[in-house]
Amino acid sequence: MEELKRLSEHLRNRLVDLIDARQNGKKIIGYTPGGYLPEELVLAAGAIPVCMIRGGDNSAVEFADAYICRWIDPFCRAQIGYAVSGTDPYYKILDLLAVPITDNHIRAIADVLDYNTDLEVFPFGVPHMKEQTTHEYYLNSLVRLRGKLEEVTGNKITDEMLKESIQLCNRERALFRKISMLRKLEGGSITGSEFIALNHASYLADKNYMVEILESVKDTLIEQTVRQQHGPRILLTGSTLAMGDTHLLDLIENAGGSVVIEEFAECIRPYWEDVSIQENPIQALADGYFMKRIPPAWFRPGKERLDFLIRLAREWHVDGVIWYQLLFRESYKTESYYFPDRLQNETGLSMLVVESDYDQDESGQLQTRVETYLHTITGGND
Amino acid sequence: MAFYDGLLEICGFEKIEIDLQRPRMENLFSKINIGPEDMDRVEKRVTRQHDIKLKGVRKLLRAWLLELADLVLAHEEGKRIVYYGYPSIQGPGMAIKAALGENAYVGCPDVVLCHSLGLIFDGLTPILEAAENRGLPPGHGLCSLQQIRNGGLDLGIIPVPDLVTGSSYYCDMGSKADELLHEIYGHPAVYVDGSMDSRWGEYPRYDPKKIVFLGAQLNKLFTKVEDILGAKVTRDCMHEAMNTSRQLFSALGRLTYQMMADPVPISAVVSGMALNLAAASTGISMSEGPDAINILCQEVQQRVDAGIGITVKGAPRVLNFAVPFSDPEITHMMERAGLALAASFVTVPPGKRDPSLCFETLGEELAEAAMRGGAYHSTYGFAKRFAQAANVLKMDGVIWGYQYNCRPLALGSHLFKQVIEEEAGVPTLSLEMDLYESRSYSAEALRTRVEAFAEMLRSKRS
Repeated sequence: MEELKRLSEHLRNRLVDLIDARQNGKKIIGYTPGGYLPEELVLAAGAIPVCMIRGGDNSAVEFADAYICRWIDPFCRAQIGYAVSGTDPYYKILDLLAVPITDNHIRAIADVLDYNTDLEVFPFGVPHMKEQTTHEYYLNSLVRLRGKLEEVTGNKITDEMLKESIQLCNRERALFRKISMLRKLEGGSITGSEFIALNHASYLADKNYMVEILESVKDTLIEQTVRQQHGPRILLTGSTLAMGDTHLLDLIENAGGSVVIEEFAECIRPYWEDVSIQENPIQALADGYFMKRIPPAWFRPGKERLDFLIRLAREWHVDGVIWYQLLFRESYKTESYYFPDRLQNETGLSMLVVESDYDQDESGQLQTRVETYLHTITGGND
Repeated sequence: MAFYDGLLEICGFEKIEIDLQRPRMENLFSKINIGPEDMDRVEKRVTRQHDIKLKGVRKLLRAWLLELADLVLAHEEGKRIVYYGYPSIQGPGMAIKAALGENAYVGCPDVVLCHSLGLIFDGLTPILEAAENRGLPPGHGLCSLQQIRNGGLDLGIIPVPDLVTGSSYYCDMGSKADELLHEIYGHPAVYVDGSMDSRWGEYPRYDPKKIVFLGAQLNKLFTKVEDILGAKVTRDCMHEAMNTSRQLFSALGRLTYQMMADPVPISAVVSGMALNLAAASTGISMSEGPDAINILCQEVQQRVDAGIGITVKGAPRVLNFAVPFSDPEITHMMERAGLALAASFVTVPPGKRDPSLCFETLGEELAEAAMRGGAYHSTYGFAKRFAQAANVLKMDGVIWGYQYNCRPLALGSHLFKQVIEEEAGVPTLSLEMDLYESRSYSAEALRTRVEAFAEMLRSKRS
């Protein structure tokens, strides 16, 4: 895909561009993934948002052993490893690391990095239920974040600027939605790994450039004739699908499967809901990012997300569900016990649960399990 | 005479009481699947692991057995049942119990099972194995306390509650395990939410919005109790609960103070049993706890006066995070290594409430106390409280025995040691362990590290 090549080139230069921008007075605001930091606030403050979405790297996880025990999710340990070791250069250019505290794994990143590095860490709360009081608390978190961003950048965030950035981010979400909807079609012309690469890139790329790329991708896909596709259609879901954690996706595609839709709490940008531009913008952000957003498994109860997965499975006509959880992320582990029965009862589909600790030794076993699963759901006709 | 009479006598039951309790005990032993063939092993365990020469220790064992009976038989005895999570903010459980009255069981079942089926009977393994096949498999760092609750329900040892409330303000696992059990058994679950989003170094300050939020969540719990169980939880209930518990906490305070004697007069296994009774129970802890602990305190005072202890005088004095709930051998191993486990996290209470603060609701009052305590404030708040306690008590060392499968504790695996050593200047052993069950973290597995730490403290002291 031509657009991915252009995007890849943009990302290759992105670090240098950010360093230049920083030297010219722009502030770089890093944040942990999870979908609860509205980039609109960062953009409206005249700063550049950068999501820390790199993962899948065992050496970073091992480096973190000197700072935290192994019982924390490997993605979060990897962030500690990257930041403390300095092996992820993005951590070196941050003026602020904002951490929406979604669960205790993410809290570990905030606490360990605040104590062990010079990074300025700004944690803010994300409650775990959708109620009036939790909504108010998240809104208060965004008000605090706005204040912090104004302090760091020295720029006042006005409602007008916020509305402008909401419109830009809504455009990005709408394009992802449109492209994703095209994957409902049998033999859709964008692969799972291409869509995920686009989504990952959106966390690092310049927002206007990203929107331009997505416009072009959408136009290309609409004009393109569909590809012939024979493999089973897969819904891929789980806690975290980091940039660089391509192992599972490669295995599925190499074994003939097609990921036609994915749902992840972290590292896949949520794009299903727009943020209203009719109301008070900070209130609209709280509504869009908290109340309307399909919540991750660490919400209690997690029913809304499971209902959504059933809907995705039906509407995208999938043949099977692969549930990819990172080791020790307990919210996903507990749901993976009872969800397969519900999925089977309501859709007739089976589900494969796979786990990773970003350990290369998992590779052989994972390959066998994925190949066997794809073989099974095609009735052995692969 | 039944097969369990001997055990009950060892555990401080009077003969007449055994006869009175017999129908309940028959039922209890049948449900927990303990029979005559187990008695020799269990009696030897209790005699070996517990200082049963002390009447107060026997009374504490008795209290835990009665609590176990109250829990296991709650449904058959027609009680309304409310389970809360551990750890939990102090107060709501007691207030709910006061609102529901005598015809209710309100407690923390997993902690009760640890201190009875674990500590006394060494019988947790079948429960844990049941949970491992019921959604909480081994090898994934899932909370063993939640496994014990799950397995206890699966084996029919503990009854399905009428309401369960999760500590959603602290851990993710407890609430998700409650959700799992709700999916299996269908009982209502109320999640009391919160957010530990304070900045590093912020404790003891906090954003007042946290009190509003957590307070509203606690008030939601009280409303749900009224909706589901028909009992109104009011400030009067809380005051009644505080009056009832005053005797218990006064006795615990006395015991905690006595543990500071040199040599340390009794094993921390005993003080742990006493402290956790208050944490897990709202019934027996109040009716039997003060008497048991006061008797114990009298005996302990005699030891203190006579200079008798379980370690040599001058042994390194250690602030220990927590005493393992179900395996006394780990604590004994630490004491055999020559460490005086003189204090725990709760020995030094948090500061008093700012008298200028005034709260409109019971929930907000309780939320403020929770913030002040540190543990529900932040990792820093929790570690800071440790460092303060180590300083105030002039401890020689700290054992930060973090629960490996409890994320709020595990994320502080290294940070606690760093903060305590930096702020209190006290050597700290960061010890990965399982406070609730010891299959993977037995005394022998931990012994080398503890002995090396003890040796280091001794040489530093000399």
